[in-house]
Amino acid sequence: MPGPYRETDLTEKVEAFLSDLKRGGSGTGPLRGSAETARETTALLRRITAQVRWSSAGDLMEVIRKEGRRMSAAQPSETTVGNMIRRVLKIIREEYARSRGSSEEADQQESLHKLLTSGGLSEENFRQYFTALKANVIEAINELLTELEGTTDNIAMQALEHIHSNEVIMTIGRSRTVEAFLKDAARKRKFHVIVAECAPFCQGHEMATSLSKDGIETTVITDAAIFAVMSRVNKVIIGTQTVLANGGLRAVNGTHTLALAAKHHSTPLIVCAPMFKLSPQFPNEEDTFHKFVSPHEVLPFTEGEILSKVNVHCPVFDYVPPELITLFISNIGGHAPSYIYRLMSELYHPEDHEL
Amino acid sequence: MAAKVAKQSRSAGVPGRKGAPEQEGEELPLQAVLVADSFNRRFFPVTKDQPRALLPLGNVAMIDYTLEFLTSTGVQETFVFCCWMASKIKDHLLKSKWCRPTSPNTVHIITSDLYRSLGDVLRDVDAKSLLRSDFVLVYGDVVSNIDVSQALQEHRHRRKMEKNISVMTMIFKESSPGHRSRCEEDDIIVATDSRSQQILHYQKTQGLKKLQFPMNIFHSGSNEFEIRHDLLDCHISICSPQVAELFTDNFDYQTRNDFVRGILVNEEILGNQIHMHVTKDGYGARVSNLLMYDAVSSDLVRRWVYPLTPEANFTDQEGRGCTYSRHNVYRGPGVTLGHGSQMEENVLIGSGTSIGANCCISNSVIGNNCTIGDKVILDHAYIWNDVHISSNVTISQTVVCDRAEVKEGVTLNKQCVLAFNVVIGPNVSLPGGTVISMHHPEEEEEDDDEFLSDDAEVGQTKDKKGKQKMFNPAEVGAEGKGYVWKASSLDDTEDEELTQCLWGLVLNPDPESDSEDSEPEGPDDPVIPSPEMDDVKVVQMEVLGTLQRGLEENISCDNLVLEINSLKYAYNVTLKEVMQILTRVVLEYPFQQQGSLITASQYVALLVPLLKIWSPVFKNYVKRAQDQLDCLSAFEEHFLEQENHWAAMVKVKALTMVFFFLLHQVLKEMYDLEILEEEMILRWFSLEPSTNQSRKLRKNQGLQKLIQWFEEAEESSEEDEE
Repeated sequence: MPGPYRETDLTEKVEAFLSDLKRGGSGTGPLRGSAETARETTALLRRITAQVRWSSAGDLMEVIRKEGRRMSAAQPSETTVGNMIRRVLKIIREEYARSRGSSEEADQQESLHKLLTSGGLSEENFRQYFTALKANVIEAINELLTELEGTTDNIAMQALEHIHSNEVIMTIGRSRTVEAFLKDAARKRKFHVIVAECAPFCQGHEMATSLSKDGIETTVITDAAIFAVMSRVNKVIIGTQTVLANGGLRAVNGTHTLALAAKHHSTPLIVCAPMFKLSPQFPNEEDTFHKFVSPHEVLPFTEGEILSKVNVHCPVFDYVPPELITLFISNIGGHAPSYIYRLMSELYHPEDHEL
Repeated sequence: MAAKVAKQSRSAGVPGRKGAPEQEGEELPLQAVLVADSFNRRFFPVTKDQPRALLPLGNVAMIDYTLEFLTSTGVQETFVFCCWMASKIKDHLLKSKWCRPTSPNTVHIITSDLYRSLGDVLRDVDAKSLLRSDFVLVYGDVVSNIDVSQALQEHRHRRKMEKNISVMTMIFKESSPGHRSRCEEDDIIVATDSRSQQILHYQKTQGLKKLQFPMNIFHSGSNEFEIRHDLLDCHISICSPQVAELFTDNFDYQTRNDFVRGILVNEEILGNQIHMHVTKDGYGARVSNLLMYDAVSSDLVRRWVYPLTPEANFTDQEGRGCTYSRHNVYRGPGVTLGHGSQMEENVLIGSGTSIGANCCISNSVIGNNCTIGDKVILDHAYIWNDVHISSNVTISQTVVCDRAEVKEGVTLNKQCVLAFNVVIGPNVSLPGGTVISMHHPEEEEEDDDEFLSDDAEVGQTKDKKGKQKMFNPAEVGAEGKGYVWKASSLDDTEDEELTQCLWGLVLNPDPESDSEDSEPEGPDDPVIPSPEMDDVKVVQMEVLGTLQRGLEENISCDNLVLEINSLKYAYNVTLKEVMQILTRVVLEYPFQQQGSLITASQYVALLVPLLKIWSPVFKNYVKRAQDQLDCLSAFEEHFLEQENHWAAMVKVKALTMVFFFLLHQVLKEMYDLEILEEEMILRWFSLEPSTNQSRKLRKNQGLQKLIQWFEEAEESSEEDEE
């Protein structure tokens, strides 16, 4: 009975991934960067495509949507999961269209006429069977995976265009992308980095240690000192958790303060964000936007009596409005915040915004 | 059954295949023993209908938190032991995600009606030899997000280094006194070796004002010690397989406390040690009473147990996810909220619940499918599933169980409990601490040992038909259904304790209840002497009990002597003290039996047969000349005390004379029974009297007559000898 066995194997993998996501980010589960999450999601989707029985593209999309809903519900703050699911759905649409021989361009165009004539029909169309579809989809997903592998390097390659000698750069917390970006620039140029520690988690400390090991002149400051130090800073370079559809950011706590200070001093604010962080989400979707973790870091459990008298909150993310951002650097180049909507429509199919 | 066997053989087959690594003690799947029974009745009457492990905490059964904790910490095989209402627990687990084939944690359910304590469970574990390596031992009501892997590594390292000396690692959490999640009765004090983290002394402080540490713990090992009172016992322990064996060897170990104490006391003999691991950033607590239930629930809602939050839906049940918004407000799907209602802070509302207009809810948890009327005020209320609450109700710090109904205008004050299916109201106010249940307190004894839920249901329906008119409208309201649990057929003091226990409040730790607590632990328990009573008093009470039993059950004097001797050793009192106690007890015995208002002649009439019965006991203790003197001075002391007492009470001087007479009577009696030798009586008489009173005593006529008689008798016997 190889069939059912393989399927239970698959569900086991999915369940393990789901529970990892649920436990993620607390220290109890394996702590991962979003790049890794993106890769894992895509690999899992490739597995589903290969192992689940499906006869037409419609079936496959249904399966992926179903699993995708569960995955993105498991950890709503981890938007990369949903983004990768949308990417794969888009791939299936494209491959189906190519198999049918119709041009991709026609599908891409959104016109009033098309909105009127299509509708329910589009789903119907995916029922046709093509032998090569499975291989093509898997091939395309593999391409996506290689693209994901290279994102950090692609962003880091652009470092020299943005960082010049003897500049003072400020960053906050720890972002793997920014870390790679700065280290890449440090191979050729000499500059000074100021790291805001990003309380209460203080990932900034790790960032500073890592940077100074590579010979970059590094200073750690408290979050409260951001405004005071900003006047000396030439550029602010930060990472983010998610890039929202309006060009705003959902980034680690304290980023908004940093962005406002930068605006006040007219210091350019550059965001290093790989394409897989682009999410069709808007900031008004309140339920899934916030993430509150155990207040332990803010007021330790050992404090005793005071804990029964006060409420302690420990939010993880900040919203940064698009007006405060100067430039996005993604793996395909630099973009202004106002251009994000265009990138979004290239990456995802509008019907997939809601999973 | 077959499936279980197959599963076990499969899991057993894995290390079997690897063979060699097993020898090195590496990479065996981590196992856990989950005891889904508390073996006590702290949650009665609530747990009469639902086992404790299934009580909802934040709308999720407690056992699910424990299983999630075990799974996330890397446990791959869990044995769940159930006893009370095992079938319900089993049903719940079989439906849950833990028993799906894809679960990374294989759950085996083992049920038996015979488990009466943790000891029984672990002995069964040993008998079935279920465990192959170190395992995690938890109760089914532990809520935690601690990552035990570090503690586990330390434990394994210690066992490797010191050849299996360490048998157990207990996990503690730092939390300073006064913290919400520390309840009085679980307060502990721990003495450790600060270098090796070895536990040297472990004691529950529970109302103690004076703590004792055995000196020998400070002499052994390294020279750095810590005595800590800032620890919360998470009731999670990493045990080596030896623990189960030790439980088998020591059949009197009932609880983990017995075990810990046994290991610590016998450390030098058995060479076993217990270590501890203190976690700083995890959360772990056991829901041992309703106060803890309150504390853990609010910690959960305030996200201390992240990632085990209400909105995470970690049990993976359909339609149970909820949304989270600011001020820690959680709403399930399908919640409707009336106009003007406010959810202030720390509120969790389950799916399908509807709330009327102008309500004010804070710090509360409301279950699934409840209906709540208008103008309801809830504060610290824990409302379970399918509860109906009408308008104008005020509830504060109260647990309302499944399917209960609260009618209009009811006020529930602090620390009330409404058990399953109870109806209250309309327009009554329950005083604080009231427990209402559908079980009549008197039926308690009837189905005491009936463990099947069916029987309980039969009893309940019978109850509804037969006793419906017996609901007291003054207590539960005109349309109310239920009985106040407090007014039980058991005697009052014990029942007060019961309600105390439910909320876990120690109201006034009076010495009597303390001695009661320490009694069942056996007389060989030097660790918990009650603080208010010195040993002599305890021994006196024990001796009294022993003699009383001796009379009632006609126990031979030899056995009484044996028991008194064992008391002497247990409390470490001197022989002299034993004798004084003994005389005092015997002389006071008639007062104990008949009350203090008896005449002297009655007293003598009662005392004489007693002395005759117990003369062998006296003979055993009164042997040497010094003993006899001690005995006599005890007599004297006692009579002088009595005299004072009576004089003060009745203020009749004449009574003193009666007592002098009495003394002389009793002394004569003892003489007749040949316990006291005449020589000693004379010597005692000739001793310098110390106080005024005793001088008076010696001038008593009757006594002088007796002495005279003695002297004459001696002379005559001397003459005879000549």
